[in-house]
Amino acid sequence: MRSSRALAAVAIAAATVTAAAACSSGGSSSSSSSSTPVTSTSASTSTSASATPVTLTWWNNANTQPLLGVFQNIIKGFEATHPNITITNVPMQNEQFKTKITPALRGNSPPDIFQQWGSGQQATQIQSGKLADISSQVNSWISSLGAPATAWQTSGKWYGVPYDLHVVGFWYRKDLFQQAGITSTPTTVPELEADNAKLRAHNITPITIGSKDGWPDAFYWEYFAIRECSQSTVAQAMSSVSLSAPCFTKASADLAAFMKTNPFQTGFLGTPAQSVPNSSVAALANGKAAMELQGDWDLAAGAGLTTDKNLASKLGWFPFPAVPGGAGDPKAVLGGGDGYSCTTAASQPACAEFLQYLTTPAVQAQIIGAGAGLPANPQAASALTVPAEQAAAAANAAAPYVAVYFDIALPTTAGQNLDNAVAKWFSSPEPTGASIISSVSGPA
Amino acid sequence: MPATYLVSIVILGITVVPLLYVFLDGARSTAQISNSSTALPNPWVWSNYATILSSASFWEFLGNSALIAGVATALAVGLGSMAAFALSRYAFRGREVFYTLFISGILFPIGIAALPLFLQLQLLGLLDNQFGVALPEAAFSLPITILILRPFMRAIPGDLEDAALVDGAGRLRFFVQILLPLCKPALVTVSLLAFVTSWNQFLLPLLVFTTQSHFTLPLGVSTYQSTYSADTALILAFTALAAVPALGAFMFAERYLVAGASGAVKG
Amino acid sequence: MTRSTAADAGLTGPGAADTAAPGPGAVRRRGRSRLRKLRKATELTILLGPGLVLFLGFVLAPIVVGAYYSLYDWNGLGPLTHFWGLHNYKIAFNDPAFVQAIEHTLILTGLALVIQGPLSLGIAMLLNRKFRGRALMRLVVFAPYVLPPAVTAVMWSLMLQPGGLVDQVMKAVGLGGLVQLWLANIHVVLYTNFAVLTWQYLGFGIVLLLAGLQGIPPELKEAAAIDGASPWQATRRVVLPLLGPTIRIWVFITVIGSLQVFDIIFLISGNNGGPGGAADTMGTYLYRTGFQSQAFSYGTAIAIIMFIFCFTFCLVYQRYALRRDTAGALTRAVT
Repeated sequence: MRSSRALAAVAIAAATVTAAAACSSGGSSSSSSSSTPVTSTSASTSTSASATPVTLTWWNNANTQPLLGVFQNIIKGFEATHPNITITNVPMQNEQFKTKITPALRGNSPPDIFQQWGSGQQATQIQSGKLADISSQVNSWISSLGAPATAWQTSGKWYGVPYDLHVVGFWYRKDLFQQAGITSTPTTVPELEADNAKLRAHNITPITIGSKDGWPDAFYWEYFAIRECSQSTVAQAMSSVSLSAPCFTKASADLAAFMKTNPFQTGFLGTPAQSVPNSSVAALANGKAAMELQGDWDLAAGAGLTTDKNLASKLGWFPFPAVPGGAGDPKAVLGGGDGYSCTTAASQPACAEFLQYLTTPAVQAQIIGAGAGLPANPQAASALTVPAEQAAAAANAAAPYVAVYFDIALPTTAGQNLDNAVAKWFSSPEPTGASIISSVSGPA
Repeated sequence: MPATYLVSIVILGITVVPLLYVFLDGARSTAQISNSSTALPNPWVWSNYATILSSASFWEFLGNSALIAGVATALAVGLGSMAAFALSRYAFRGREVFYTLFISGILFPIGIAALPLFLQLQLLGLLDNQFGVALPEAAFSLPITILILRPFMRAIPGDLEDAALVDGAGRLRFFVQILLPLCKPALVTVSLLAFVTSWNQFLLPLLVFTTQSHFTLPLGVSTYQSTYSADTALILAFTALAAVPALGAFMFAERYLVAGASGAVKG
Repeated sequence: MTRSTAADAGLTGPGAADTAAPGPGAVRRRGRSRLRKLRKATELTILLGPGLVLFLGFVLAPIVVGAYYSLYDWNGLGPLTHFWGLHNYKIAFNDPAFVQAIEHTLILTGLALVIQGPLSLGIAMLLNRKFRGRALMRLVVFAPYVLPPAVTAVMWSLMLQPGGLVDQVMKAVGLGGLVQLWLANIHVVLYTNFAVLTWQYLGFGIVLLLAGLQGIPPELKEAAAIDGASPWQATRRVVLPLLGPTIRIWVFITVIGSLQVFDIIFLISGNNGGPGGAADTMGTYLYRTGFQSQAFSYGTAIAIIMFIFCFTFCLVYQRYALRRDTAGALTRAVT
């Protein structure tokens, strides 16, 4: 019976699959040679938006309120102004979506519009030959979204459009900082360590981390990496899938030294990041720890896990501190976003028009108002109401560049291997980080 | 005797407390649970159970699960008993090879077959279709069904068979009218196992179903999970309710269950 | 399968069909007749055919196709172009994480046999005696098996967190000094997982052994007691041997299940196989590399390796252990 259980188990576990993209065996941006994505104009029979009726299936991860209702409203709004287009909403829980999208792209009837996180992962999905090159449809307006949108470009061509952005930084509890006598947020790592000491002195856990899930560990390592490495070094490392530059070794050394100061909660290796009552975000939301390095979604993740109705007012946000002597820009941020892609079967320009509609300021306001993240369209910045989130958005806008999370920027296999290696390294952090460096080239 | 009771209580405690935990936490709010993981419900949030029981989609999920589990169990046990009969009471070349072939189905981690199976189901047009789940589930339950039924069927005395044949009944009629009724306890056993396996099956329905109205109970849990958060209390309440039919099936079969498997080890 | 009659041997060739087994109905079966052979073939086709078709179609075919993929370097998306042969397998055995995963899996299998075996047997024997509430106890003991592993994992994670229910209970009964970081301590986490696995799956073993026990007439034990045997001796000399066949089936199912263990460990200890990979098994390794990392071909190769472990055990076990149970059966095969 246990084998049947294993079956059921793989199934359940599949629900927590992370980013779904295939790995490329050698480099990452050779996608143009391995597949010739059919441009949408030759795939569709009608080029005029006002002629034949068009139906688009839309796979998104807004399976619960409030975003579910918001998306349904958005569909209504779009269909009102585009009478010949019908959008079929297919919401799916996030992890279930990641499990289903790869077989769907492999099969013969993928959805028309589906969620896409861009960057190296997108490059891998392009190998399926099913992603549409929408450059001609979007070139006229996409530059208004600014630099972060370029993560949805591969080899200079557009394969997706973002609808919200994310950035990673330190969420902190103002009440606990006050208790420990900390009057201003740290701007350098030594200052952060000093603040940690103050918190410990007052019996407060300084930082909570969901180490069991692996990717929160990666946030730390990647931030130290982009503080130590210049922008070009990072970009080069992502495209050549190699962490051989010496600054990456320095990042491991920095993080090992940081961890020596005992910043995390007891038993952090077994704590999950979110969703469940024993997660790290629950600890933050219930005042059991003072800080968490997480994405802008942390408030939404933590709000349901506490009886405290005033959580939003108690939380502040500050960017990852500077590392003295690092070659990286202290204002650079780690982040990403959510977007959508059209498949080659989707009717154009209808599909691209819908993606554009999602970036218009009014629609952005709705999406952001439902707590999806930071707006993809800078014009909609005023839709954010929580001060902590506004601070995050400001840091994102002021950043000289946004480093996409490495597991998305790299081809999927390399990215996952990196996450796994960092997570394993966290249980006994040795300063060279050799296992992390070598992880992106193997085992598969 | 006192030792029996003492040990029983310890076992009961270790087994029951976590089960109670599920039920009790289903009557709290997730926020409560996060605040303190071991406190009793305060206040009792019966609305969790009420919400679930009054939501149309819960009963939809229940109906789908029941339909699929019913079909899968019937197929697995029906075809499995036929195959077990052939493998236990017929002599033919390659019989042990067939038997080992069936048993080998248990030896594979199922993930290996997931993608090819999906593509195959797509080819057969079985996606978003209950049979796209029931048929493979029945197929995967065949090995364990045959593993358990074969020795039990073997144990039925050959004289019964001879007597039936003397009376003019064919072997197949013997199978249906005499052997199967004698194997009722074992049949109930494998039925229960196939049913529970299908009831908790997740990956196959996930790959096959896209329309929410076709979801089974395990998929239905996603109703309470979003991208960054999950309503743990509702999930626990939902699971407690979803387990009731499976536990009910066990209680129903328990009388036969214990007597049933025993035939497998006679002689 | 009785070895006593050639007819039962089945595999000894067509000539064996001529020597009919003794018995009243055997007279009519003596001699070969085409009609009889045809009828037997038809019956076999009807009986075996549908199950075989279903099994081949939905289980074996996908597995074979998947196995074929393991010979490539494929990510599940692009075309199948990069043929690697056995390269994936070489990588696997050179990966220290995989070797570690194999070790952990074998440890868990050994623990299952050594701890769950006697435990299941003891509890089954306990539940075999008559006492009030026995039926309820049986239900309670089996109930964890019915619960989906996902929920078991959520529940136990809550209870095993630092300061959670387990810690509180231990402190309450005076065992506070033994409290560990159950999920975070790299030396302990594998055994924590084992404990939860035991909780989930013990019920099935108990029910199976209970059934076996029910097949043993109580008069035998009484006779042993009359002869002056102590309860322990009665158990060892009378009950255990008669329970042999059941125990052997239990061992088979347990070993196969342990070699493939995945669900609970993944859900409790995460996709990295716990802190520092201390609870990584072949199953979690497979999931991480095959599904999450989208190195689909590599994952399939791992699955094949797991299959080889299971199949080897299956063959060896069938040869040396299960064969004993088929000798002396009261049945006679169709000739």
